[in-house]
Amino acid sequence: MSEAPRGMVEAIRAENIVKSFGHVVALNGVSMQVARGETLGILGDNGAGKSTLIKILTGYHQPDAGQVYVDGKPVQLASVDDARALGIECVYQDLALVNGLSIYHNMFLKRELLWGGPLKLLDHRAMRRRAAAALEEIGVAIPSVDVEVGQLSGGQRQAIAVARAVFSNARILLLDEPLAAMGAREARLIIDLIDRLRARGDIAIVMIAHNYAQTLEICDRVILVQHGEVTFESHAATTSAEELLDIVRREYRAARSG
Amino acid sequence: MVEDAPGRTGLARRAYAFLLRPEASVIVVSVALVVYFEIANQNFLTNANVRTVSQFVAAPVIIACGEIMLLICREIDLSVGQVFALAPFIMENVNDIDVPVPLAILAALAVSALIGLAIGLITIKLGIPSFITTLGMLFLITGLTLTISRGYPANAPGGPILTGFMGAWGYSEIVWALVIVALMHLVLRHTRWGLHTIAIGGNIVASAEAGIAINRIKIANFVLTSTLGGFTGLLEAFRVGSIDPLAGGSNIMFLGVASGVIGGTAIAGGAGTIVGGLVGGIMLGVMQDGFTLQGINAFTFDIIIGGAILIAMVANIHLARLRGAGPR
Repeated sequence: MSEAPRGMVEAIRAENIVKSFGHVVALNGVSMQVARGETLGILGDNGAGKSTLIKILTGYHQPDAGQVYVDGKPVQLASVDDARALGIECVYQDLALVNGLSIYHNMFLKRELLWGGPLKLLDHRAMRRRAAAALEEIGVAIPSVDVEVGQLSGGQRQAIAVARAVFSNARILLLDEPLAAMGAREARLIIDLIDRLRARGDIAIVMIAHNYAQTLEICDRVILVQHGEVTFESHAATTSAEELLDIVRREYRAARSG
Repeated sequence: MVEDAPGRTGLARRAYAFLLRPEASVIVVSVALVVYFEIANQNFLTNANVRTVSQFVAAPVIIACGEIMLLICREIDLSVGQVFALAPFIMENVNDIDVPVPLAILAALAVSALIGLAIGLITIKLGIPSFITTLGMLFLITGLTLTISRGYPANAPGGPILTGFMGAWGYSEIVWALVIVALMHLVLRHTRWGLHTIAIGGNIVASAEAGIAINRIKIANFVLTSTLGGFTGLLEAFRVGSIDPLAGGSNIMFLGVASGVIGGTAIAGGAGTIVGGLVGGIMLGVMQDGFTLQGINAFTFDIIIGGAILIAMVANIHLARLRGAGPR
């Protein structure tokens, strides 16, 4: 297993994670780790176990065996709230936002700012101002935080969802297919955002993806998950998409002859 | 509004955006109707008739305030008109055992709230669509009201001051309606309750992810709607001076829902305004009163009202599409 680059602080580590659903072994001893300021790409086919791994890291599923460490300390992630309390947040592309509400309402959903003492009225002005400042800080350009999320493009929505997670103090970001179904310009928006977040140095990013070339371009390291095991792990700079495709092709051939 | 109408000045664009709001189009239609009825019948804008219109408007608008909250979070209450009929009889019966009228009113409101709580718990905890839960409640409460009243009307209790305050003074019902509209507008736009109601209707998965107490909000909206239904029934009882076991019913429920939907509340949830419910109710009231003054036959009248409601709803959905916010 390759270590995190020298001088970087480990954010989250999973060791020998095993998870079965009935007779189906979804994860058969998977290990991975990611440091603050680092972006890890998880590649693999549908059903390879990527989503199960992400759901264990967000506390949605609990592993049958293995251990998760956050900041080097062993943790039990019994629920999504447990994970969130440790700064772990997963951003799903289409599930995260409410289309009928404005950007700033979405950024503050369930964490609204209030005024008026016992009346507990929404402090729209403060939320508007702070949402705009937070978006500007991480370089997400939108015309106004008053715009309804439903009127934004897919890339803008994804950017808002990521911004909201960072804004709510998530420091271990799990991105589920952040670039799926996006044109080149839209994808550029998100890639630039990921680059800026990495440059801050305090956030660890794990992204699930299908597109090998794109993932190698964005991430520092990639791992390949096949039938519940990590079959390849490498620094993105020294890996080519062809190399990864070869491994996957070999698996297909083996499956056909087997 | 993000979408710009190309080639217009800022002011014209703002006017255009305003006219695309559902409330605005309903206001325009209502004003046109008032003008038409005033020309066709000189008695429309007299003091006496304005008071009558206000009484037509008040009850559906108060009920709309509850139904709008439910529709926004993708629920509905079909039985609110039956709670409307039941509440005055609860008040009367409690008053009969020598409880003062103000306390009897509170008892009636408490029973209304409990019915809403029951609807909410059955719907949420047993996972039954509220359409079905409240359809069952509709029959159940009708039977309850008829049993309690033995099928006979009763006289509304209370001295002249209380009675006037609660509905007998010509404008008291519309004043109550406007106060409730103002309060509910505050709740919907300026409290977490309202914001979370919209969030639940817009994206229930995202709301759950964010940690919103979905069940509590929905149950609160059921309690609210039933309580407002009972309160409206009490106001009508005090205004009319007698309590009718067949008052309200599905008719008043339908007018309440129609007021909300005409005013821009999305039947699919996630969007709506209380002010829209007010202008929707005003439009229905103006039509109801205007056509009555015209002396239109009662059967024709229902055809006109039904057709008008359909047209208003179609226009509403079409305008939502123009705004780029509606169903695609």
